[in-house]
Amino acid sequence: MGFHDTAGLYGAAAALRLALFTFFPALPDLLTSRVEVSTPVTSFKRLQEGLFLYSHNVSPYDGGVYHQAPLLLPLFSLLPNASMYPFFTYLVYIVVDIATADALYQIAESGEAAASKLFTSARKDRRWSGYVVAAIFLFNPFTIATCLGRPTNVFTTCAILHAVAKAISGHPLTSMLALSFASYLSMYPVLLLPPLLLLAYDRQNATNRVDSLVQFSLTAVLAVVACLSTLFTISYLLTGSWEFFASTYGIQLTLTDLTPNVGLWWYFFIEMFDSFRSFFLGVFWLHLSSYVGGLSIRVRSQPLAAITILLGIFSIFKPYPSIADISLSLAVVPLFRHVFPLMRYTFFAASTILYSAFLGPAFYYLWIYAGSGNANFFYAITLVWSLGQSLLVSDLTFAILRDEWEVERPEMAGKEIRQI
Amino acid sequence: MPNVQSFNALRARSYLLRLPLFTRAMIAVMIAFALAGLQGAWNIQEWGALIPRELSITTKRFETEFGTLTSLALFFGPLTTIPALIYVFFDRFVLGANHAVLGASLWVFLLLGMEGVRTYKTNPYLVIGTYHVPTWTTPLFMAVVVQALVPGTSFIGHLCGVGTGYLCTSRPADELARNKRAMPRLLATILTLRRDPRLLKLPPYLSLLCIVVGVAWLLLLPLHDYSRRTYISENALLPGQVHTYFGGSDQNVFRAYRHEVDALKDKDNLEINDELENIFKTIGFKVGRQNYTYHSAGNTYTGENVYAILQAPRGDATEAIVLVSAWKNVKGEFNRNGVAIALTLARYFKRWSLWSKDIILVIPPDSRAAIQAWVDAYHDSHDSSTIAALPIKSGLLQGAVAIDYPHEGRFEGVHIVYDGVNGQLPNLDLINSVNNIANGQMGMHSFIQEKLGHSDKYNDRLKTMLRGMMNQGLGHAVGPHSSFIPYHVDAITLQPVGNGWHDEMGLGRLVEGTFRSLNNLLEHLHQSFFFYLLIQKDRFVSIGTYLPSAMLIAVNFTIMAILLWVKSGAVGVSEPTEVSTIKSKDTVENKEGKEDLAAKPPTSPAVEREIYLPLGIVIACHFLGALPLFIFNHTPSYLLAPFFLAFSALNIFFPSLILNMVNSTSTRPLTLQQFFLLKCFSLLLLGMFLSSLATLNFSLAFLVGLISAPLSFARPWPETPIMRFGYAALLQIASPTSAVLIGAAVYASSLGSSGAGAAAGLLDTLQHILSEAAFGWDVWGLYIPVVVWCVWWPAWLVGSVVVLGQPNMKKMKSA
Repeated sequence: MGFHDTAGLYGAAAALRLALFTFFPALPDLLTSRVEVSTPVTSFKRLQEGLFLYSHNVSPYDGGVYHQAPLLLPLFSLLPNASMYPFFTYLVYIVVDIATADALYQIAESGEAAASKLFTSARKDRRWSGYVVAAIFLFNPFTIATCLGRPTNVFTTCAILHAVAKAISGHPLTSMLALSFASYLSMYPVLLLPPLLLLAYDRQNATNRVDSLVQFSLTAVLAVVACLSTLFTISYLLTGSWEFFASTYGIQLTLTDLTPNVGLWWYFFIEMFDSFRSFFLGVFWLHLSSYVGGLSIRVRSQPLAAITILLGIFSIFKPYPSIADISLSLAVVPLFRHVFPLMRYTFFAASTILYSAFLGPAFYYLWIYAGSGNANFFYAITLVWSLGQSLLVSDLTFAILRDEWEVERPEMAGKEIRQI
Repeated sequence: MPNVQSFNALRARSYLLRLPLFTRAMIAVMIAFALAGLQGAWNIQEWGALIPRELSITTKRFETEFGTLTSLALFFGPLTTIPALIYVFFDRFVLGANHAVLGASLWVFLLLGMEGVRTYKTNPYLVIGTYHVPTWTTPLFMAVVVQALVPGTSFIGHLCGVGTGYLCTSRPADELARNKRAMPRLLATILTLRRDPRLLKLPPYLSLLCIVVGVAWLLLLPLHDYSRRTYISENALLPGQVHTYFGGSDQNVFRAYRHEVDALKDKDNLEINDELENIFKTIGFKVGRQNYTYHSAGNTYTGENVYAILQAPRGDATEAIVLVSAWKNVKGEFNRNGVAIALTLARYFKRWSLWSKDIILVIPPDSRAAIQAWVDAYHDSHDSSTIAALPIKSGLLQGAVAIDYPHEGRFEGVHIVYDGVNGQLPNLDLINSVNNIANGQMGMHSFIQEKLGHSDKYNDRLKTMLRGMMNQGLGHAVGPHSSFIPYHVDAITLQPVGNGWHDEMGLGRLVEGTFRSLNNLLEHLHQSFFFYLLIQKDRFVSIGTYLPSAMLIAVNFTIMAILLWVKSGAVGVSEPTEVSTIKSKDTVENKEGKEDLAAKPPTSPAVEREIYLPLGIVIACHFLGALPLFIFNHTPSYLLAPFFLAFSALNIFFPSLILNMVNSTSTRPLTLQQFFLLKCFSLLLLGMFLSSLATLNFSLAFLVGLISAPLSFARPWPETPIMRFGYAALLQIASPTSAVLIGAAVYASSLGSSGAGAAAGLLDTLQHILSEAAFGWDVWGLYIPVVVWCVWWPAWLVGSVVVLGQPNMKKMKSA
């Protein structure tokens, strides 16, 4: 397990992205302006706007365009101007993609998906190597489109996967640190804390392991809180006010920016009367977070499975999802290669996702550009898109549970089951 | 035996408690909805109503409520849909009525029906006095009572619910001992049905049926019952309601301008524009000029546009209407009268104070490239290295009318040309307004799709529709107005034709009337249809009626893809796969990548499919499509025809070449399963592309789908070479290259070249068509070449590979 194994793969992925950047110079800007790639909380264009304000000593949150974490600003202001020297920005995004792939490689190589501490699948020999899993991520069209469109949630993706990789390799503190970064950038990853905690707890190093789960979780939560507080303090010092809370996390919590996206929230909240708004915001967020506890308990023996399912659920039910989120959830699915034979609707789910991936832009075009359709066209397709994803997630959940069940009841393996 | 007296509160309570959980949940939901329905703000009734006519997609509902329908389909389970379908069937087709039903009473009666049958099994009769009433009839009584007591309920709807309830439970009594077993039983029945081998035989017929119905559907459209009369949706237009004053002394002005135009006939572009600028300035317009250069297929198209803006006396320069009169029309004829009448109209318009929108008069040197450059630059989406920006601009364009009048003398009527680039169409209201003004106010005839003297019979309607579809499918610009339509500016071209008694002033009044109507607009044209097929100037078919035909053809591919996916996982196909895998391993000793098949635990329920090689081939073929796309858009025009012929000849051998390449590079020849998967992915992609395309350009999707229909039934025939080569030959005829060649031949013969000149004529036509396609790609931004080379051609390629493939069937038989 070393870098020289995968250097060729990473080189090829970087070369492909560089070639696309070089030979199709209009492509990055085109993708940046697509609603499927850029959401109000991740858009590269909005980042540029914030950057401009920041570099002119105006609060980046003035004007209500920029809704991203404050610490991204000094990072990007170090780079040369993206409109004049786009190459450096491209390079950053390519490096982030490769770092993400490397984390994925480590996760896949650990074999955690099929054989965790508390559970070993009977099918654990049928798995893909880290090389294949990383390749599937790097050459996934959604990942490539995300890289070209340069939304800022690639950093979140990278941080989440590194958190998982570190947890598996027995570095709980580093893992919590990475998760704090992810949460700082996008807020929703904080929901991954319980399963990640369990994962880190299961995979502690023998030398300095903590036997009590309570003690371990308290330490870890403390670490996350400390890290987040530090980040918030730096942000406060950077922007000079606590305004950024309302403009970044507040926007996600209250969904004040109703730009269309591939998710399910915007249409509901456009149609909704204001008196119901806060109630349904509560319901939607409660719904999103309600999966965490249940899954952490039910799939206690396979925390990585819980994380995978949660990532799939987030990419469906987040307030501002984009194809960057599906590229993350599709990145971790191949880790569960061993349960693929148990999945029943892969073809249906894959073709639904494929169909909606093509019909979505067509209907968006009819609505926005041709003016001959309306918002219902696009929303109908986002429904289908979410249906495809939820099929995939529920099918994967079924397969994981069935796999677990067959270990408990080996005599039932391969038999038709019936719900009673 | 229960009787009426034995009913008491305790039993009712225990009955309620014994209700299944779902029933209880449903009752709670119903009550919640009833309560919610009491408040007026949120109209639940409209949201949930089931109105038979609106379900049939013949209405504009597709455009406006597509989302709602989809969500309905997603939310409602079979329990509602089955009785709902029965209800719709009864109400619409048996009784011919159209009543809306809504509410949860359907569920109530369905559950009552199920309950009634269950009670009947245990207690067959209810004794009232001396009469033994079968207990299963109680729901029916209840339906009658409810019908009598509660106003506004649907008796038929309730009966449908009860009927479905009866059907759900009408099985042997022992199976019905517990209600909660019924659902799994039903599922189990469906599951066993799913394994029925006869089910796998069905899809090819279904798919054929889809194609046949799709074509028949299209052929039915010209009938009277499937089309509607056009009507003006936008109230503000008020076509033909104003008196037009153009005429009288304007006749003299027109003659004078025609004289000026005649004098410029042989001058070059710049001299013409100098003179036109002078004229505009004398009238009192602001003038702008714009240079443009286009390169396409080795040719350069360059020139200068001149345009003038009349600032609205009553407007604020936020909106504008465009009058286009190109110096030359699309056929290259000198638009003598057109330019003269445009100048006269400009001078006339200047005298009026009623304009609330700016009027822009554009005189481009030709009707193809120049106007595109102008429209692009107006919307700031031009390539600034070759096309100049516009020096002056006005507001948002609300509509455009182009005059194409090379015709000399008096005319009989106007030909309305409406097709836009890439098959987009202008709002139907614009066409209707012009028709209305021409027919009603001017007493002129009007025509569409070059069909003069339309008999309004089936034949003429069909021809008109097919010509419209052809223009839409090719997506080329048919007049100077076409370039406006992609920018969502509704535009048409008017061409005076025939010999009649109308003079130039008549056309002028028609344009004046149209401009007065457009001037009335309060907002952009949006009320009427954007998707329609006109079968006569005043009859049209709306998208809800015609779209199913293209969708059915696209669906046929998807059905076959699903079938092949199922088949490829069936044991009959997978067994030889495994055998051959193991055999090849024994012989070749090649262990990379495929171990997992042999290591497969014998218990796994589904058969593992080898998807990577087929998927790779399909994706590679689609990327290969970029090659012809690049070649035919970057070759100089004189080489296009020879290149194309060479490519067509090569194309015949491409499938076998690919097959050989795959077979020689992979470790073993493709198996039957891999062929199934190959075709499955290819058809899935084709179906997906075509159904997406059908929403953008119906005609193109229909034509491509129809010609590639044989791909659905392509399969390997390893043991009957005749069948194999026969089908391969059929596919050759249906290939994109042959389609282009046949199209060129038909076009050439329609132009009338015959005999010895035919071959040369064919070559010329081919070159003309190909350079036109390249021109469209470079100038108009046509996406049709992408559809042909990156969607259709790869699908054809994979289909031919599948037909030519010879998977080893002997092993299959031995297994």
